[in-house]
Amino acid sequence: MNEHTNKYEVVEKYCLGLMDDKEKIFFEIEMENNPALSNLVHEHKTLLKAFDHHNNREFISYSLDAIHKHNHSHTQVILKHLKLNVNKYWRTASVAATVAFMASTFTFLIARSVYKKDTHAQYQLLKGEINNIKKDQKAIKTEVDKVKKDVVPLPDYPSKFSGTGFAISKNGYLVTNFHVVDGYTKIFTVTDDGVGHQSEVVATDEINDIAILKIKESDFAFDGKLPYSISIRKPNLNLANRVYSLGYPKNEIVYNEGYVSSTTGFEGDTNRFQLELPSGPGVSGAPIIDETGNILGVISGKQSQTEGVTYAIKSKALLSLLKTLPKDFAINSLQDNIIKGQSRSNQISQIQRFVCMVKVYN
Amino acid sequence: MRDNSASAQQLSDEELIRSLALGESSTIRHIYTSCYPTIEKMVFKMNGSLDDAYDTFQDAVTVLYEKAKANELNLTCKFSTYITAVAKHIWLKKLTKKKNQSFSILHENMEDLIGVDDDVDLFFEFENNVSKLTSCFQQIGEPCKGVLTAFYITNKSMQDIAEEFGYTNAENAKTQKYKCLNRLRKLFFNENGVTQNERAY
Repeated sequence: MNEHTNKYEVVEKYCLGLMDDKEKIFFEIEMENNPALSNLVHEHKTLLKAFDHHNNREFISYSLDAIHKHNHSHTQVILKHLKLNVNKYWRTASVAATVAFMASTFTFLIARSVYKKDTHAQYQLLKGEINNIKKDQKAIKTEVDKVKKDVVPLPDYPSKFSGTGFAISKNGYLVTNFHVVDGYTKIFTVTDDGVGHQSEVVATDEINDIAILKIKESDFAFDGKLPYSISIRKPNLNLANRVYSLGYPKNEIVYNEGYVSSTTGFEGDTNRFQLELPSGPGVSGAPIIDETGNILGVISGKQSQTEGVTYAIKSKALLSLLKTLPKDFAINSLQDNIIKGQSRSNQISQIQRFVCMVKVYN
Repeated sequence: MRDNSASAQQLSDEELIRSLALGESSTIRHIYTSCYPTIEKMVFKMNGSLDDAYDTFQDAVTVLYEKAKANELNLTCKFSTYITAVAKHIWLKKLTKKKNQSFSILHENMEDLIGVDDDVDLFFEFENNVSKLTSCFQQIGEPCKGVLTAFYITNKSMQDIAEEFGYTNAENAKTQKYKCLNRLRKLFFNENGVTQNERAY
């Protein structure tokens, strides 16, 4: 044991450059004759560099955050202000928000006249900005509503990562992947109006990578009836079935379509099936829906070498997990399907607000 | 006198690099105020959000800070141009990773990237190692996690660590530290291939 400790101590001394010249030369000769030692040195250096990089990044991030915090855009400042004083000052704040909006619009107009002769791309950028302002306006309003209701707001730092979740009940039960929420307790479901709702994990199936979330707000309800169904009978999971999916690979919802390419998953996994469907990070937990509006499964991963190959967990596994949920979950509401026979775009417009982004925070 | 005050306002790039290497907060602030707006605009223009822009900027400053510290930052152009190039390259890499973004921007203006490929690659390699390190840390458990953090991250002395973690002396704490480091090393370099083929996200 002691001998080991000594070895590491010497290696660390060398890596940190703390040896004198003579010691260093001897050590390097030893390294040449002892590949295991030289490998150890290499590994140790890698580790030290990783620690070092971690520390450097933390330092820069700490320094910059302090500066960045005081340099937020007007809208963000108002948002912050609202959070603190909304009960007393929300009227004033709304006025302030309107002023900020007007100011931004004004800036936009000026900017437009300045950049008049510029390219299309720039025009789009500005359009993006005005949209953002609109979104911020909306965010301010929801922020006001939220604080009024005394609801936990979304953290103001970036999320660790995000996935997709879809509603399975009107009162806020959702399905996502276990790996999306694994190890996190600060979980927010962002509904399509951009509002984050604090959520908790109520059931998990680690093997099949499914987690059920429940939005914590007691008075939460999705708007309208659940449009899709999860067939209790054997779903028609057949080769070449056309399917589509809605998920959040970015901040906006994204539609994708494809077909069932195999009824088993990776390396013959019978709990999953294989799809030819484009997917990317963030769509974990997205529903796979067939043409009749029936949910066939939940996206869980993709094959890294082949583009377009996506794997999904079969709804069978999901159903057995749903049986474990508390009484306020009504499985019956998943039997009816109100979008069967409708056009695809009609289906989507109804499903859209039941598919949410799931964000986890440290 | 006048000269002095002028140089405080406008650092030469050389001075800037020197004080960045020391991590001086006034310099970091200067970099923020003089370079961030451009980079924010650039990332925003290339399909990024404001958060993306700020993250990318942080990454770029980290790259330059590390290079400056290692005395390897030899500029061939203005500092602001260089950091913008680094940020641009980092953001393009992140975009490529996201895959589902439009690729057209990737080919546009590729030539204005000032030889920063190596810096950026190295940065991502480090980032990768750090996330691997973090996941290994989750696995080694206490007291190893605490001891290693105290030594390598918060830079505490062996004596302090011995006291904090209840070892009889610094020597024992050191033995423990190397044991922990060895465990970490094994985890770090022998990651088994559970996620080799099927990648979850």
